Amino acid sequence: MKNLKKSVCGILSLGMALSLCACGGQTAGETGGETAGDIPVIGISQYGQHGSLDNCREGFLQGLEQAGLVEGTDYTIDYQNASFDDNMAIQIAQAFSAEDAALMVGIATPAATACYAAAEDKDIPVIFTAITDPVGAKLDSGNITGTSDVLPVEGQLELIRAIQPEADTIGIIYTTSESNSVYSVGVYEELAADYGFTIEAVGVTAQSEVTQAVDTLISKGVDCFSNLTDNNVVGVLGSILEKTNEAGIPVYGSEIEQVKLGCVAGAGLDYVQLGIQTGLMAAKVLTGEATCEDMPYEVIENYALYVNSAALTSMNLELPADLAGTAEEVGQ
Amino acid sequence: MTDLIASTLTQGFIYALLSYGVYITYSVLDFPDLTVDSSFPLGAAVTAVLLLKGVNPWLTLVCAAAAGALAGLCTGLIHVKLGVRDLLAGIITMTALSSINLLIAGSNLTVERAVDTIFVSAPVMAVLGGLTLTGRKLVVALVLAVVVKLVLDLYFRTKSGLLLRAVGDNAALVTTLAKNKGSMKILGVVIANALVALCGGVLCQEQRSYSAVMGIGQVVFGLATVIIGISLIRFFAGSKVSHKMRRVPVLRFLASPKGTTAVLLGSILYKFCIQIAINAGLPANMLKFITAVLFLLVLVAAGRKGEEIIHA
Repeated sequence: MKNLKKSVCGILSLGMALSLCACGGQTAGETGGETAGDIPVIGISQYGQHGSLDNCREGFLQGLEQAGLVEGTDYTIDYQNASFDDNMAIQIAQAFSAEDAALMVGIATPAATACYAAAEDKDIPVIFTAITDPVGAKLDSGNITGTSDVLPVEGQLELIRAIQPEADTIGIIYTTSESNSVYSVGVYEELAADYGFTIEAVGVTAQSEVTQAVDTLISKGVDCFSNLTDNNVVGVLGSILEKTNEAGIPVYGSEIEQVKLGCVAGAGLDYVQLGIQTGLMAAKVLTGEATCEDMPYEVIENYALYVNSAALTSMNLELPADLAGTAEEVGQ
Repeated sequence: MTDLIASTLTQGFIYALLSYGVYITYSVLDFPDLTVDSSFPLGAAVTAVLLLKGVNPWLTLVCAAAAGALAGLCTGLIHVKLGVRDLLAGIITMTALSSINLLIAGSNLTVERAVDTIFVSAPVMAVLGGLTLTGRKLVVALVLAVVVKLVLDLYFRTKSGLLLRAVGDNAALVTTLAKNKGSMKILGVVIANALVALCGGVLCQEQRSYSAVMGIGQVVFGLATVIIGISLIRFFAGSKVSHKMRRVPVLRFLASPKGTTAVLLGSILYKFCIQIAINAGLPANMLKFITAVLFLLVLVAAGRKGEEIIHA
């Protein structure tokens, strides 16, 4: 046993020393490059693994390519994923700063704020994406810019009105600690009256409370549910749909993945497109064509309509003919 | 590379403040306190709001600690006066506080670069103005972590500090000394949460941001650092090096390190494990897994003494 401990001890210290050397080596390899050229590093910090956020990242890489940059000669990517852990996001951003990244990319608000904090010392430019309210998050000025994913609320309200002409109340579940969601609920409440709806919003603090919130809204007799891009809520969409399907209440999604999972329809952003737009901005910063200060953040407004016919039919609803041509069928 | 080590050490020093708090409740008082997950963001919320109002950054930290102390007082009173079990008392305060945090600062708050934090405050700039921001952050965090540690060490030697330790070790003794063990428990939880909120406040200044979810998992972090730190210290105290050091008068004080030193080291080690995982160049989704493996290795290397933690 004693020998085992000793050897584990040895292996551990060796491992730690090696990894630290590896960090050094890796950094040198990335910034110095094997060709001894100076290939700039783009550090991408993604807040967590999530369909829309993945699409953002893939789009971002496509955007860089579209701008004519080539990975390996014009830039290298250091991609890290914080697993929805704020502290992880902090250390990831600090690692980017330590390797003198030419540019940091923060996908979702906590990743972006951590990047911006770590970038302060060396004034490294930061590009964000998938932030609904950059002004509220105070990421709208300084050496930082990016793209904002404001939900197409008007499009969604129009869609619901077209599919359910008789509906009065829309139920929304959101997480009180997700600023994007709080902001979006505000937009819904502001616009609902224009389309003859009232909003019944229930805030939750944890994922475990979501199904109770569904019960609450069903008992209040809402005519349908509309989803935000709330990480907590979308994470348990499956169990939400089980309850709503039983109660015969349609749920509208806010992006393509949700409609695929069984929401009847949705007006959703194309996150790949959002990423591409971000990538194009990043390319300008990288080539020195523009700085973050020069470019105000951009809001993506184009949205698409998605429909899941099987889910619609099971609710005895149908898509009006004028929308049938424009909506994309994503159901199985 | 130096930058990376500096910023990882900075995180370790800042989070040591939280680890001290968890050490007091979990290890000294034998009180598993879950208030931490909410008193941590509470400190950050108070700091962020006050900073944005133009309050002196050092003063905001005092306010943060005071707010944390109040949170601890709630948990302590609920447990001692209302007779609610320790775990539940913490859960109740934690749950209530998450609403309070939202009331104070909303779900997210960023402190713009134009606002001065402790790291760019006049006294710090006067002494450390020549350093980069990363350097200043490191020195300030180091000083905070060491000063708080020394103050705690001194406190543990006072009458009140000794009683506090007795509550965790042998509560009956405290009663025979005609002291109220309930009030000692409350005092301990108050100090602990003041430290945790102070940590939240310092982190908020370092990151220039507060988020309502920043407290998630902090109890787990605190417990891990306490266990890792104490295991390592025990391993060291049982080693030949330590025995030899005991014979040299100058080194004697280093031979059996204190609990506070242990958790300070634990906190630094924890942050290094994460940093190594980030830099290992493995698939990004494997981060948590790598971190877990590193912890396991540390604990095994230290001889699994973590399982038998006894009090300070």
